[in-house]
Amino acid sequence: MLTVLKAPPFATVQDRGREGQRSAGVPPSGAMDRRALETGNLLVGNPLGSAGVEWALGGGAVRFERETAFALTGAHARATLDGTPIAPYRSQRARAGAVLHIAAPDRGRFLYLSVDGGIAVPEVLHSRATYLTASLGGLEGRRLRTEDTLPLGEPGGKSPPKGFAVPPPEDSGELRVLLGPQADLFPEKAWARFLTQAYTVTNASDRMGYRLAGPALAAQGPASLPSEAACPGAIQVPDGGTPIVLMPDGPTVGGYPKLAVVIGPDLGRLAQCNPGEEVRFRRVSVEEAEAAYRREAEAVRALERLSAAVENHR
Amino acid sequence: MKGTGWRLSPLGEAAITVTLGDRVEPILHDRVLDLARRARAAQWPGIQEVVAAYATVTVFFDPLKTNHGRVSAALRTLQHAPAVPKNSPLETSREFVIPVRYDGPDLEEVATRTGLPRSEVIARHAARTYRVYLLGFVPGFAYLGELDPTLALPRRAEPRQRVPEGAVAIAGEQTGIYPFPTPGGWHLIGTTETRMFDAQRDPPALLSVGDRVRFTPVD
Repeated sequence: MLTVLKAPPFATVQDRGREGQRSAGVPPSGAMDRRALETGNLLVGNPLGSAGVEWALGGGAVRFERETAFALTGAHARATLDGTPIAPYRSQRARAGAVLHIAAPDRGRFLYLSVDGGIAVPEVLHSRATYLTASLGGLEGRRLRTEDTLPLGEPGGKSPPKGFAVPPPEDSGELRVLLGPQADLFPEKAWARFLTQAYTVTNASDRMGYRLAGPALAAQGPASLPSEAACPGAIQVPDGGTPIVLMPDGPTVGGYPKLAVVIGPDLGRLAQCNPGEEVRFRRVSVEEAEAAYRREAEAVRALERLSAAVENHR
Repeated sequence: MKGTGWRLSPLGEAAITVTLGDRVEPILHDRVLDLARRARAAQWPGIQEVVAAYATVTVFFDPLKTNHGRVSAALRTLQHAPAVPKNSPLETSREFVIPVRYDGPDLEEVATRTGLPRSEVIARHAARTYRVYLLGFVPGFAYLGELDPTLALPRRAEPRQRVPEGAVAIAGEQTGIYPFPTPGGWHLIGTTETRMFDAQRDPPALLSVGDRVRFTPVD
């Protein structure tokens, strides 16, 4: 069990999300930075899709009620275990009763606390991911509060030794995009602006979508279309011409023209941008996007093999 | 694009949208339903979900198990089925009757703006059998059409911050039921006790695209 001694302003239980419910209007939800969650799971010997705590907007503290292997990934924040500073992206051990303080993230936006055995809230529609709008999944479908207790799963006994570390991902520049289904409604000038100018993440950014500020990108023709399927990463451009990038809790359908779609492997980097940070976009082909997706999966598998090798060597 | 279009576009690295047209009309939606049904029945490897909307079918897939090339090729094999199915898929779809208490806070305003007595607004809303065109906005929210054109009003200028669960609403030539308390700009004309979405139910959404729906007034 994990006790929330002081909840940050925004923390939810997340896993890799739920697939197969879009037709019912249920978005995938899941970690905003999927790679960070997966890496955290690797560091504690969990299957990649185990649930962890997604932590944002401030500091707080938790107490481990059993001996626990844990790791912090994603956004960077100062953290201490019973007063001793601990490093992120590293396997850590806590004794029963130990208290972990996590400060407000100072770089990035969403931090992941992974524990061996995972957060064992019941699955709802095949996932433990929290989706607040419909109060689905997670702990009673809501954000975590001070004094909550979270059930932990049985540890698989495969956690890598204390101190096992993996390098945090590097920030690699522009966010790669594919042309969206309505890309041709946007004149060449709009495309030129979109691909050469910086866009700023605004305060109107949350688990549903990130509204960006920057040069307007008005579409030609109708301002809205009969609604059709959307997905996380889709860049919708409403009348005003300022783009909104849909995130994992975003609506499954939309009627605004979709200029482009941020590729899956790059969406976590956008998620980690705080209001005021700038992003730039680069267009890639379908083949490049598919290759990037495979490379991402391969990078995680390589870490998984490394972690297994370290475990076997023990 | 007329009602016989066919265009494939990527929706990210893990989905392809087939666009069959660009308007809201039963004959186009019949083709959407027919294509979605055939795409599901084909059970291509790596497919996660087939989502039907007003004029599009979107196929979501696992990019580690298949790819754009294969899914596009598979979809093209379905292109040359009968342009319009012989029978509307709606003829064999499920029909739901949803009891409504016509007590919505906007009923009076709808009556005033349409120039109809309240009883006539209710009668016209309850007279039709609606088609489920699309689910979305929030889980279980079904876009139902077409509303009697004499009841069609643009959305409220000021959307409400919080529409209660079970509110039956109209906007444009559509009607729908809010499954959760959410912000909303439609005109609220009634309330239903019927639960539109329940995660403990299988399937969780009461309605699916292509179902038929009638409303029946209750006190």
